[in-house]
Amino acid sequence: MRRLALPAAALLAWAAGSALSAAAYRSPFPPPSEIRTPAAGAAADMFALALGARRLFADVWFIRLMQYYGSPEFHDEDDAEGGLDWLKPKAPGEHRHHDHRGLNGEGRYPEFLTRARHVLEIDPNFTVAALYGAGSLAFNMGRTEEAQDLLRYALEYSPREWKYLNVLAAIGYSKANDPAAVAAAIAPMLKDPDCPVMLKQQAAFLNKKIGSYAAAAAIYADIAATSRDMAYVRNAERELQKLAAALSAGAPGPRKTK
Amino acid sequence: MRKTLPVVWAVAANSFMENVRNRFFTLFAVFAFAAIYASVLAGVMAVDQEARVLSDFGLALMELTALAYALFNASSVLLREAETKTIYLVFSRPVPRWAYLAGKLAGSLLTSALMLAVMGLMHLLLLKLRGFGVPPAYAWALVGSLLKLGVITSFAYFVSLFSTSAVSTLVISGIFWTAGHFAAETRFLAEQSAGAKSLALKAAIWLIPNLQLFNARDAAGAAAALAPAAFLSAAAWTAGSYLGALWLISRKEF
Repeated sequence: MRRLALPAAALLAWAAGSALSAAAYRSPFPPPSEIRTPAAGAAADMFALALGARRLFADVWFIRLMQYYGSPEFHDEDDAEGGLDWLKPKAPGEHRHHDHRGLNGEGRYPEFLTRARHVLEIDPNFTVAALYGAGSLAFNMGRTEEAQDLLRYALEYSPREWKYLNVLAAIGYSKANDPAAVAAAIAPMLKDPDCPVMLKQQAAFLNKKIGSYAAAAAIYADIAATSRDMAYVRNAERELQKLAAALSAGAPGPRKTK
Repeated sequence: MRKTLPVVWAVAANSFMENVRNRFFTLFAVFAFAAIYASVLAGVMAVDQEARVLSDFGLALMELTALAYALFNASSVLLREAETKTIYLVFSRPVPRWAYLAGKLAGSLLTSALMLAVMGLMHLLLLKLRGFGVPPAYAWALVGSLLKLGVITSFAYFVSLFSTSAVSTLVISGIFWTAGHFAAETRFLAEQSAGAKSLALKAAIWLIPNLQLFNARDAAGAAAALAPAAFLSAAAWTAGSYLGALWLISRKEF
C-alpha cells in the first residue's frame, strides 16, 4: 500500500492541475475549423499553434500581406493587350499612358481578403491588421463588401473594439459618397497607436478633398513625424509643401460635398 | 524537515552554479545575435509594426532558448550524475532522495529564471535602442514562460528516470511541449467527435498540461494577466511530475 502512495499522489496532483486548467481556460482564439490556410502556409500555421507563437506567426502573415499588396500585379490580359509594355524602358521623347496600378493601392489583389482574414484567424486581437485590411479593401480597392466581412469577423473576437465600428461607419459613408463624413468617422482613430498609416493617409486625402487643408496638413505632419514607412513619409512631406503653398495663397475653406 | 531544507538549498545552489558554468549556457550569445539580426530584418520588413514584431520575436525566442537549455539540462543531469558516480557520493551523505530531487529541480528553475531575466534585459535594451518602450504585459509574458518551463522541466526529470537516453527524454518532452499548446484544439476536436475517438481525446486533455494557460505573450491587453488558476495548475503539474520522479528514483539502487 505504501509503495503505491507516491504514484497515487502524483496522479492526484496531475489531475488537480488538469481540473483547474479545464475550469479556468477558455480559448480566446478561433477554433481550428475556422482557420483557412492559404496555399503553402500549413507549416507556418502548425508552428504557430505548436510553439504557442500565434502573435509571431500572425506578424509573419501580416508582413506577407503587405508584401503581396506592395507588389505590382500581372494579369493574363496584359500580354493579350500588350499591357506589359509599361514595364519596358521608355524611348527618348516617347509619351506613354501612365498606369497607376499598385501605386496608390488600387488593383485587384484577389487573395487580399483571404490573406487579411488569415492574419486574424491566427491572432484575432491584431487590430492593426484588421484596420489595414479593411481600409485597403474599402478605400483603395473599392471592395466595401469584403472590407465589411473582414471587420465583422474581427468584431466576433473583439466585440468591444470601437475602431472597427468607426471604420464600418466610414465604409458606410464612403458608399454614400460622403467624404466629409468618412473623414469624421476616421478622425477619432488618428491619434491611436493602432491606427495604420494607410488610414491616416486616407483621412488626410479626404480632408484635402473637402478643402480642410489645415486638418489635412496636421495629419500629414503626424505621418511625417511618426511613420517608419519612408514611402508614406516622403509623400506626406510632398503634400505638406503643396498644402503650405495652398494655405499661403489663401485657399478656400471646407467645401460642401453633398 | 528543518534540517533538510538547507540540504535542498545546497543541492539547488550547486546545480545552479554548475549550469551557469556550463558551456551550453552560451546560448545567451546566440540569442543576442539572433535578436539583433532579426531587429535589422524586422525594421526593413515590418515598417510601422516593427515594435510589435521585435517584441513578439524576442519573447518567442527567449522562451525557446530557455526551453532548449532547460530540456538539455533536465534530460541529461541525472544520467550524467549516475554515469560519473557523483550521485553515489551524494547519497552516501545524509541527503534524502526527495531533497536531492527537489534541489536539482529548484536549481534548474533558478537557471531558467536567470536566463529569462538576462535575455529579457537584453531584449528591452534592444527595443530601447530601436526607440521603443516596454511592450504591454511584458512581465506577465516572462512569468508565463517561466511557469511553462517549470512544468516541462519537472516532466523531463520524470521522463529521464525511465527513458534509456537523454535524446529520448528530449524527444518525449519536446512532443509533450508541442501537444501542450494544442489543448484548445484538442478540446474542440473532442467536442466534435464521438465514441472511442472522443474518449481518447478527452483522456489526452487530462494527461497533457494545457500550456496555453500560461501563454500570456499571445494574449491581448487585460487577458495577458495570469489568473491564480494558472499558478495553481503549474504548481499541481510540477508537483505531479516531481512525485512521479521521486517514486522512480526511490525504486532505483544507488
